[in-house]
Amino acid sequence: MDELLRDFLTETTEHIEGAETQLVHFERNPSDASLITSIFRLVHTIKGTSSFLGLERLERVGHAAESVMGMLRDGVPPTQHSVTIILAAIDRIKTIIEEIGAHGSEPPGDDSAIIDALEAYYAAGSEAATAAAAAEASSNKAAAPAASPEPAAPVVEAAPVAAAVEQVKPAEPKVEAPAARAEAPKAEAAASQSKEGRSQGGSTANQESIRVSVDTIERMMQLVSELVLSRNQLLELARHREDDAIKTPLQHLSTLTSDLQDAVMRARMQPVGRLYANLPRLVRELSTSLGKSIDLVTEGADTELDRQLIEVIRDPLTHLIRNCADHGIERPEERLAKGKPERGEIRVSAAHEAGQITIDIADDGKGLDTERIKKKILSQGMATEQELHAMSNEEIYRFIFEPGFSTAQVVSNVSGRGVGMDVVRSNIEAIGGSVTLSSNEGKGSRFSLRIPLTLAIAPALIIEVAGQRFALPQTSVVEAVSLGKNYKDLIQNVQNALVLKLREEVIPAVELREVVGLGNNDANEESEKLAVVMRVGTDSFCIIVDGVADIQEIVVKPLSASLAHLKVFSGHTILGDGSVVLILDPAGIGANLGIEKSTEKKREQARDQNAQERRRLVMFRAGPGAPKVLPLSLVSRIEMVETNRIESSDGRLMVLLQGRLMPIVPISSHIDMSRPSYPVLVVATENRSIGLMADEIVDILEDKLEIQLASANSELVGSAEIRGEAVELIDVSHFIRMADSPGRTNPVPQRVLFAADDQLVRDMLCPALSAASYNLVATSIPADISELVNQFASFDAIILDADAPALSAPGFLRALKERKDPARTPIIGVSRTPTNRTSRIATENGMLALLSKHDRHALLETLAYALDAAADAKATSMEIAA
Amino acid sequence: MSAAVALQTVSDVPTAGEESYFTVFAGGEAFGLSVLHTQTIFRITSVTPIPLGPIDIVGLVNLRGKIVTAVSLRRRLGIPVDEVQNSLAIGIEHKGENFALIVDEVGDVLTLDASMKVQIPAHFDPARSRFMAGLYKVGNLLIPALNIGALFDFSN
Repeated sequence: MDELLRDFLTETTEHIEGAETQLVHFERNPSDASLITSIFRLVHTIKGTSSFLGLERLERVGHAAESVMGMLRDGVPPTQHSVTIILAAIDRIKTIIEEIGAHGSEPPGDDSAIIDALEAYYAAGSEAATAAAAAEASSNKAAAPAASPEPAAPVVEAAPVAAAVEQVKPAEPKVEAPAARAEAPKAEAAASQSKEGRSQGGSTANQESIRVSVDTIERMMQLVSELVLSRNQLLELARHREDDAIKTPLQHLSTLTSDLQDAVMRARMQPVGRLYANLPRLVRELSTSLGKSIDLVTEGADTELDRQLIEVIRDPLTHLIRNCADHGIERPEERLAKGKPERGEIRVSAAHEAGQITIDIADDGKGLDTERIKKKILSQGMATEQELHAMSNEEIYRFIFEPGFSTAQVVSNVSGRGVGMDVVRSNIEAIGGSVTLSSNEGKGSRFSLRIPLTLAIAPALIIEVAGQRFALPQTSVVEAVSLGKNYKDLIQNVQNALVLKLREEVIPAVELREVVGLGNNDANEESEKLAVVMRVGTDSFCIIVDGVADIQEIVVKPLSASLAHLKVFSGHTILGDGSVVLILDPAGIGANLGIEKSTEKKREQARDQNAQERRRLVMFRAGPGAPKVLPLSLVSRIEMVETNRIESSDGRLMVLLQGRLMPIVPISSHIDMSRPSYPVLVVATENRSIGLMADEIVDILEDKLEIQLASANSELVGSAEIRGEAVELIDVSHFIRMADSPGRTNPVPQRVLFAADDQLVRDMLCPALSAASYNLVATSIPADISELVNQFASFDAIILDADAPALSAPGFLRALKERKDPARTPIIGVSRTPTNRTSRIATENGMLALLSKHDRHALLETLAYALDAAADAKATSMEIAA
Repeated sequence: MSAAVALQTVSDVPTAGEESYFTVFAGGEAFGLSVLHTQTIFRITSVTPIPLGPIDIVGLVNLRGKIVTAVSLRRRLGIPVDEVQNSLAIGIEHKGENFALIVDEVGDVLTLDASMKVQIPAHFDPARSRFMAGLYKVGNLLIPALNIGALFDFSN
């Protein structure tokens, strides 16, 4: 890659992270022009350099973003919309830069959406500016005519421009909820300014620094490790000699070496502030989507941490903050009612403590509801009442990190599906850290992460087998069992496979020498063999080794490419005595044993069992009748959608969620558009999501789901009994089809009833209707006409033979006219010779039309039209209700 | 170490079309190894075998704090090996990986140029000829130049 390009990439990547944070700060503190000025300068540089380097996409996006930022710099107050589009542009710049970094050239792609949005905003703004300038010029003739919309106008003069921009609303899409704009009144902005100022202090601390490549640092690290080893060897030699002449200089060398090691280790460190860079934006987005006002305070940005660890912690930290924002912080009105400040606060602080880093994520929200957690523990069968009784609150909170645990009553898009907290814990534990949770009911909760300073050094067992040593990472070792004389008792050969019988457990076992292909030399069976029990994921197994030679801190190095295919080893390292050993990979050994497969099988079995046994279900009400249920696995999240955000287009309901239109299908047709909001169950299909609109979410529970009554109704799979209550299981596929087409070109054939006594007519018209793929039911006319009328409701359209005497009788016509049919099923009459008179009678009595029996085309056309109209009517009737 | 430094100066002044090669010996035969690839020459004191690894990879060696993969030229060429301990190895970096090529002996530096190149005879065993980047006529000797890429390719 070109040197110039590489420099450009490194520099831009570094600066752009800061740009996001600054932009979000600027949104809150529009008075701090220095913030936007520096971002403006950055984007300007990106634009300039990319034009020089011939990077067209970057140049165009940069140019468009620069124009809008220029407006902001010149005093136009930022709005949520303008900040959002600039953030989008910055995101795009980041993506392109990443791509260039990976491939050396600009990737192909289309940025016109972003550029258009920016240009539209800019155009609207400058028009307004011109208008404002003109208005000012005319109203105040003394003013210099040069009050041009030139962006270089000083801030004071730009004020009316700003006002004008606010008026030019049409340029901004509707997404911008009024609440969001009202969110940042000046006073609050000022209050939060001081807090953010504090957090900024750390990250912008401008220390003298030079850029050194990671490779150089790694090489230094290696050399220092080597130096430490040489020193150790020297010290060992010196110990056996009574030579005082070398003792003092050796002592000196020893201290210097330790100091040097320390200094090089420090060079690998990076400030935690890097982790903080994305947080303001995250919190901003969370506040908006959750409708809460949240301030973020970060502390200890200059605490240093191994750069590898910074990347590992990023996701867990994000998840914990989401959790605080979603479950911890209350809504503003709730907070005010409790006498708390309206704005919630999430405080992330990092500190160096006794060779570890602690990162605390605290909120001042409602804290944990211990009783509810207890109930959940009991209902999940994770502990008994007695056990809970004996537990401290801290111990009870620990259950929150168990897989499948979530107390959120309503699942939201932010968190609460019971995945995540267990992942947070396993990620943190994987790097040898820990996570704890404390809470003060009503006052807030606090997650504490304790993380080792570095990943590069890990404790390992140095084991021996067939005269060769291997390192085994201690993190996956559960225990080592001395076999000794009890070998035969503890290890059994069952069906040609070894098992370790340990206490009550039967653990798969294997001779390590066989795994690594060092022969099965049974000669030293008498030697003190050891069984090392390991856990990978949820599976335990053990390897039988000749002995444990040592426990050492090792510097893990990955295997080179030509050896990477050896799954049994994860890397190699140099031990204190300078020898090289291979590091065993417990997961690889497990896979070698077939543990992985058996796990899968176990999961499958569990899944099968689950199908018969317990499932997590969301129970909700939709329309009258029994509560409905849906397996939670089908629901990707549940959203509360404000009714005024639901729009109707082309006969379908939809809502704009996270920048995408999502079709909404009401489960029940009884929809009251005057309600402020509806819960919507978001179901993800192959390529998109649809929202099922329910009346209310009753509960999320775990229970058996056994369909006892299958349903003929396509909306339902059938009925089941849960906790002594009848519930109906929704057929999601039906609603997905409805979302795809609310009537027309329905893949489900529409049901058409054809009632005629005349066999010839039926024979003539039925094939045509069937060929047009209607689901046709032909029937003769029953003696009791009302029986026929009652059937109408279960069809999409009715065709009647108007020539049949029973159907032209006044009684029937009256029944037809007076029937109660909310769906307004269209009825079409057919007659051998329709006249004006008979047609009029037919339409007066509730038929759509009277057609000739011989005109098949007219019949098919009318039928298609009638079905379409009925579908539209259904959709509009809901709108009218609104 | 000192040998590597001395050779670096040779490689610094290659005339057009010419390249400097070490002569290395394995099983009594001489091969050319481009000095451009060579980082250092050292004696292996201890090697950690890699169970399950490719047979031609003798093991891992600690070369001044760096772990290098030791490959036996003899094994690569199908010549029996006696003892790896204390043998001579040439440190070579290839595709970001550090290798040590174990040879019997290291001889003089030769300057080979394209005019000395001859066709590799068709009847050479493919198991050997695939490790040859070319065959050069030096006086009345025929010296194959080693193909580093093939030597350190264990993808099969």
